[in-house]
Amino acid sequence: MPDFDEATTAAAAPRDHYRDLLARLDQVGGDELADRARLLDSIFRSLGITFAVYDDERGAERTWPMDLVPRIIPADEWRHLEAGLVQRVTALNRFLDDLYVGDQAALHDGVVPRWLVESADGYSREAYGIPAPAGARCVVAGIDIVRDGEGTYRVLEDNLRVPSGISYVLENRVAMTRVLPVAFARHRVRPVNHYGSALLRALRAAAPPASGEPTVVVLTPGTANSAYFEHAFLARQMGVELVEGRDLTVEDHVVYMRTTRGLERVDVVYRRVGDEFLDPAVFRSDSLLGVPGIVSAARAGNVTLANALGNGAADDKGIYPFVPDLIEYYLGAEPILPNVTTYLPWEADQLETVLDRLDQLVVKPVAEAGGYGIVIGHEASDEELGRVAEALRADPRGYIAQEVVRLSTHPTLVDGELRPRHIDLRPFVLSSPAGVEVIPGGLTRVALPEGSLIVNSSRGGGSKDTWVLAGDGA
Amino acid sequence: MLSRHAEHLFWIGRYVERAEDTARMLDVTYHTLLESPPSEEGPAWRELLEVLHLHEVFDDEPTAAAVSRYLVLDPANPGSVVSAVDRARTNAQAVRDRISTEMWEAINAFFLELQEMDLGTALDRRPYEVFRTIKNRCQAINGVSAQTMPRDDGYRFSVLGLMLERAEMTCRLLAVRYARLTRGSQPMWFHAWVAVLKSVSAFEAYLKEHEAALEPTRVLEFLLLSTTFPRSVLYCLRVAETQLGGLTPGTRSTAQRLLGRVRARCEFADVDEILDSGLDQFLEELQQDIYDVAEAVDAHFFRSGTDLDLRSIEST
Repeated sequence: MPDFDEATTAAAAPRDHYRDLLARLDQVGGDELADRARLLDSIFRSLGITFAVYDDERGAERTWPMDLVPRIIPADEWRHLEAGLVQRVTALNRFLDDLYVGDQAALHDGVVPRWLVESADGYSREAYGIPAPAGARCVVAGIDIVRDGEGTYRVLEDNLRVPSGISYVLENRVAMTRVLPVAFARHRVRPVNHYGSALLRALRAAAPPASGEPTVVVLTPGTANSAYFEHAFLARQMGVELVEGRDLTVEDHVVYMRTTRGLERVDVVYRRVGDEFLDPAVFRSDSLLGVPGIVSAARAGNVTLANALGNGAADDKGIYPFVPDLIEYYLGAEPILPNVTTYLPWEADQLETVLDRLDQLVVKPVAEAGGYGIVIGHEASDEELGRVAEALRADPRGYIAQEVVRLSTHPTLVDGELRPRHIDLRPFVLSSPAGVEVIPGGLTRVALPEGSLIVNSSRGGGSKDTWVLAGDGA
Repeated sequence: MLSRHAEHLFWIGRYVERAEDTARMLDVTYHTLLESPPSEEGPAWRELLEVLHLHEVFDDEPTAAAVSRYLVLDPANPGSVVSAVDRARTNAQAVRDRISTEMWEAINAFFLELQEMDLGTALDRRPYEVFRTIKNRCQAINGVSAQTMPRDDGYRFSVLGLMLERAEMTCRLLAVRYARLTRGSQPMWFHAWVAVLKSVSAFEAYLKEHEAALEPTRVLEFLLLSTTFPRSVLYCLRVAETQLGGLTPGTRSTAQRLLGRVRARCEFADVDEILDSGLDQFLEELQQDIYDVAEAVDAHFFRSGTDLDLRSIEST
């Protein structure tokens, strides 16, 4: 089956919503496009918009790779995606509330096996009883969406802990309007630059009830972190302090930051530090990034941690297959966005299927992120498959297997020419007691090597500006 | 603002000033020597290293090539231009959310430019261009900062750092050069005083005030006590005092008390009295006082939460 291309039909004709853009790019021409791609690179470079690749020997920073050709999502498709995302994140928040401060109804009713939840990597006993506003344990979610060979949008993965990438969405847009202003102006693209104020609103709404005009801070692991640029970006967009663990102190279960005028109380910590590094008094005692006592302050209801502790219980790859069931259970509705077909190796019969079809499936370790550890069956050597089979038998809970999704392709500028490359999409979803909101579009990631299905930036992926078109009514 | 952020901003000011001063003094030394007898070369470079407090660490033959490489591109020398810019950038990165995008871009672009330049070759072939580029970029950073930073505490800390660095540098320059130039016979006397003035971009300003009458006492007075020239010690201390006062309105910190005292000392000083009672000692005390001010700023604003810090670490 041929790949589903976002911009052109199987008959190689431009789809309606791409006709204008493709014509415009053609008119601009390859040399000029290459020039503008260089301009784009220099913009990102001088702005210092970079990301770190940990296993890269040559140095910590690489310029953010953005492709010149934007991805376009028409209004009706976006309405479908938006409804599906709101539904999914609502159910996931309900599940987390149920699990940590509720009756655990979903576990009692057998919707998800208890042992599975409790063996999830991101599950946390410490999270029990820590208050958070209902429906907002996950203030910021990044849901990875792919489009299969038929053009169906599917959820590939939920990211409910510290999802990153939103800063690139905003910076891509700014850069795009600088390098392709004419093409941009010819489309009615929904804006994304309200994210900072939307995030601040959601974080303030999550403040402990008594905090009046709440003080919000962004907690970063520091400049060496791969997403530091984003942490600083978000603090700037929201106009709040960017703090490191050493800037905070906890006295009597209240969190303070050290300022030039003494200690100042903090009400909401948008923390971009993972659970296990957050509080050396509770988790890893060797963590220098955390704040001793911050978990007890959260438990006392004196500070809100966003996202809440223990959200990994809901975005574990082993829980993922049950999310459609959770949607039906909590919301009484059919899931709008389907999952990718997934096999559970810890079920004996499914393990046999997986082992039989190992060369056709994708095997993913449940505890890894960023594309690390993924084995794509049809690309792997026999030796590699042998190792995977062994690992599956030894630790079936440690993996899931999925049907290969031929990610949709998108025209991408490669050596001055437009070539189809595989893409995915990470929309960002904000939850607060007032409701769930999706920022139009999200981060489109593109696998730059020909035929590659791995889009992660840490593995040589690039990105695209994502245009959600305003509908006729909007 | 966060104590840590204040400290980063303070050091951005200092490092950018240090890079600029180093480049300017290199430029002046280099171009003065072109018109001097060859015997001057070694002593002149040694003096420059002394002004920068690097004469004890530099263990090579002090030639133009060796010293300019050491002071511009040697990453192992913490006082080199590349080190200062690298540190300024690291500090800026840590307060990325505090400084304007324009200011960050100016610092980051300068850093990248130095990374990409073949500085060694450039220093051999067109040193003037290298020095000029460094000075221009530093001035651009300060200009962008002045144009885009709100006049809040963050700005005050960065100007405070810059002014203390500049005042200290001018003191050091005078301490090293004045003694040498007034002792014994100097064949290139006029020449050398021009160089001193140019080292702090004061030549033109001095001429405007005193015409071409170069007189050591007047030069000293100008660089120490001028109330109009923005690199004189007094001028820097006045600006620093204003910025520091704005940080703690209504109260008086130790830092303020110390800074007020050293500023007043310059404010009401008389250059002939200074010379009579011993310039060396005066400059030495001045440097010590400025150093003490920086220490007091550090203790008051950057380390104020340290007691709490220790307690919370012990309790875990």
